[in-house]
Amino acid sequence: MANTLRLYLTCIRNTLEAAMCLQNFPCQEVERHNKPEVELKTSPELLLNPVLICRNEAEKCLIETSINSLRISLKVKQADELENILTKKFLRFLSMRAEAFQVLRRKPVQGYDISFLITNYHCEEMQKQKLIDFIVQFMEDIDKEISELKMSVNTRGRLVATEFLKQFI
Amino acid sequence: MASFERASPALKEILLRIYRAEKPIEVDHHLYEFGSVEYHIKSSASAPQLTYLSISTPLLTQGVLLSYGLSPYTTQMVREISTDVLEIVEPATEGYQLTLRLDFSKIPRGKDSLKVITEVSSVQSIILSSQLKEMLQSVNSWDASQGMYKPIKLVYHPREPFYVIRQPHKIVAVFPMRFKDYSDVIIATSFFQELMDVGSSEKWAKAPPCNWSPIPPAELRGEPLEDLSTNGGFVSFDISSRHVEGKRLDKTVWSLLNFYAYVKHHVKCTRGFIQRRMRRRLESLVEVLQNSSLEDDRHIRKFQENAGWQYMKKLVKLSSKSKILKRSCRDFTRKIMRIRFRIKIHGFGRFRRRWLTMLKFSSSKGYTKLE
Repeated sequence: MANTLRLYLTCIRNTLEAAMCLQNFPCQEVERHNKPEVELKTSPELLLNPVLICRNEAEKCLIETSINSLRISLKVKQADELENILTKKFLRFLSMRAEAFQVLRRKPVQGYDISFLITNYHCEEMQKQKLIDFIVQFMEDIDKEISELKMSVNTRGRLVATEFLKQFI
Repeated sequence: MASFERASPALKEILLRIYRAEKPIEVDHHLYEFGSVEYHIKSSASAPQLTYLSISTPLLTQGVLLSYGLSPYTTQMVREISTDVLEIVEPATEGYQLTLRLDFSKIPRGKDSLKVITEVSSVQSIILSSQLKEMLQSVNSWDASQGMYKPIKLVYHPREPFYVIRQPHKIVAVFPMRFKDYSDVIIATSFFQELMDVGSSEKWAKAPPCNWSPIPPAELRGEPLEDLSTNGGFVSFDISSRHVEGKRLDKTVWSLLNFYAYVKHHVKCTRGFIQRRMRRRLESLVEVLQNSSLEDDRHIRKFQENAGWQYMKKLVKLSSKSKILKRSCRDFTRKIMRIRFRIKIHGFGRFRRRWLTMLKFSSSKGYTKLE
């Protein structure tokens, strides 16, 4: 299991290293405007082919690149209903605080749980390798956090159930 | 509606204020709790020792008891709160089911006064629990000739009824669970599954067996659809005679009455826990990104130094006191050994450096010079 995760993350890392070659590119349609082309998708010549990396049916990563911006969308695995609501709550919580992350998108792309938008300005302010490390680390941390949350909720439920049944004895 | 605390805090405060008043005061309070429980407290300055307390509470089974008032068992349970202090006034004040005359002069002085007033303040919970006690006490006296087991609907909150079904040698309490939010349903469902797991283990064999199902149990067939439409499933407890013997009856009744409140409280606390945990995680995730900033190497170095210093600080804090003590003892013994066993030979140091050092066979120039 750990092997497939390693391979999945390595593949994403390599793809990001290749895709994160961004440069400043003013908007071709509106003068004095500078927009992330991957969001607008108005000029096909500025867009690269999107890459979809699937670990399995439930987990996948979509990397869309353009000349001045890069969008990474993640679908996190959700084994059951509890993981489903925990993932939704946690990722929504993070998305609502997107300004703390700078590269996080407030709303995920449809069909995915969370999305990042990296522009050339981010690449100028931050180190490219560290950005990629952050994305990969983020993916690992999310999985770990969801698992820990689920375990904590079940443990709490067990303790509360024990306390309730003690009253009958 | 029953809550975790048996005594009503507001009622207790008012009664204590009247009891502790230095001079007689006029009191005419109307108190509302949980939207459906009403208290009326009346005390006049002309008769300061007497206080009248009227209670109106929705009873567990509305249909039968309203026409006859409270059952004799319930009135007996209320009288037993304190036979000296409390007297039931017949008939009750208009609009109320029960009126009590409290004689504060008969309350014992000291710490017992607080105990008595607390028990008087819990009269509403006594009325509710006595009705369920009456039903549960008849576990063993079930007459097989009575035919079909018709479920008895108990309503202590308009939106949260539960059912009690009499069966041979046991009584089944069924709770239809409803929640407003879908995430509450999931959290509660995982709790019910843990409850079933814990209840089915050997250690908890004495607790009433618990069962959860997403569909209504067979015993509830024939009940109105609006009562059986739920999103949280149905939780049922099998109460046997062992659970209603002696003092256990009171605990069992109170646990059953508080089951809804217990579940809702657990769901609320779990949501709060998830929120707190997410906030903590957010801080650690953001910290990783802050490290990737290019601004200044100085800032990075400074952060790393600070991080190193903070790491050391954490390390020092984490070392237990016993380990620190051991380390310092070890250092001290080494020092003592060095002092006691050091043999000084004059000139030996020079001799060691000249004759006892290992010769270097590799040339610093990287090649061997041929003669």
